[in-house]
Amino acid sequence: MLRYQENNELHRDFHGTTNTTLDYIAENYGVDALKSLLRRTGREVYKSIREKLAKGDAGELIEHLNWFFHRENGKYQLTVDENEIRFEVFECPAHRHLKKLGMPISPYSCLQTSELNAGMCEGTCWTSSVEILGGGRCVQIFRKKVSK
Amino acid sequence: MIPSDHFVRFYNEVFKFLDEKNGLEKYYSHISSHQEFHCLKEFSEKKLRGVYDYYVKIRKEENCGMELRLEKDCIYLGMTACPSLAKAIDNDAGVCPKYCLHCPGWTFPLYRKAGLFQVKDMMGLENPRCRSWIFEDREKAQKKYDELIETCPPEMIKKNF
Repeated sequence: MLRYQENNELHRDFHGTTNTTLDYIAENYGVDALKSLLRRTGREVYKSIREKLAKGDAGELIEHLNWFFHRENGKYQLTVDENEIRFEVFECPAHRHLKKLGMPISPYSCLQTSELNAGMCEGTCWTSSVEILGGGRCVQIFRKKVSK
Repeated sequence: MIPSDHFVRFYNEVFKFLDEKNGLEKYYSHISSHQEFHCLKEFSEKKLRGVYDYYVKIRKEENCGMELRLEKDCIYLGMTACPSLAKAIDNDAGVCPKYCLHCPGWTFPLYRKAGLFQVKDMMGLENPRCRSWIFEDREKAQKKYDELIETCPPEMIKKNF
């Protein structure tokens, strides 16, 4: 079950404020500070996902990816097996909306994903990686560390 | 991607980060400039009608509990259930105690630029509610400010002029 239940209207212009904030933090405080801020957001805001991952339960993470990309009409494919979650994004909803607004996409935009995901996995038996393919496409992988 | 549903929880973390660095005011100013992209033209050209139309859209998209009245001389905007602060509170990361201050932080300069005068009753920073009055006439805005200062905790009453 999702910790944050969201079922109402969407205000997609928030992607614009996120975009300008990423630039602002990176330009004024440095990219490392931005990464740290995003990592903390992943770790603390999504504490519920992280705590479940620590117990080996990826259920909320899977529901989170599926529900919030579905709500934003994202084009994606989610493949789940025992030790790996593969989330392939064919069109990022945030990038699509920024294009619609005519706003340049921040060069730090994809750090949202890599650092948030890493924050959710911090201290758990899961790792995350993101392959950026360009044009709003990426492959996000969550992999369970298998003890030998 | 930070889902647009969860933006305010990221915003909340940004405020905590910037507050530690004494950087909130400068950031508010930056966000205000960004918001000009969305509303300055409408506010400058259509004045109170432009503000009213913008908040009709925001009330729907952001799922606000909001009383919005376009009156003869002003707009009354009574936030009875602010979804932004409500989400920042309903948050495992904990709310930034200064969360509410971003609202006057970005709206005050924007209204000023649009030639509008705003008076705001914050009604405390811990409850998701507040009241604003927006005027085209500065004297009328000042009169509302004077009235509120007499009847409300003065530290909660703010104006953009």
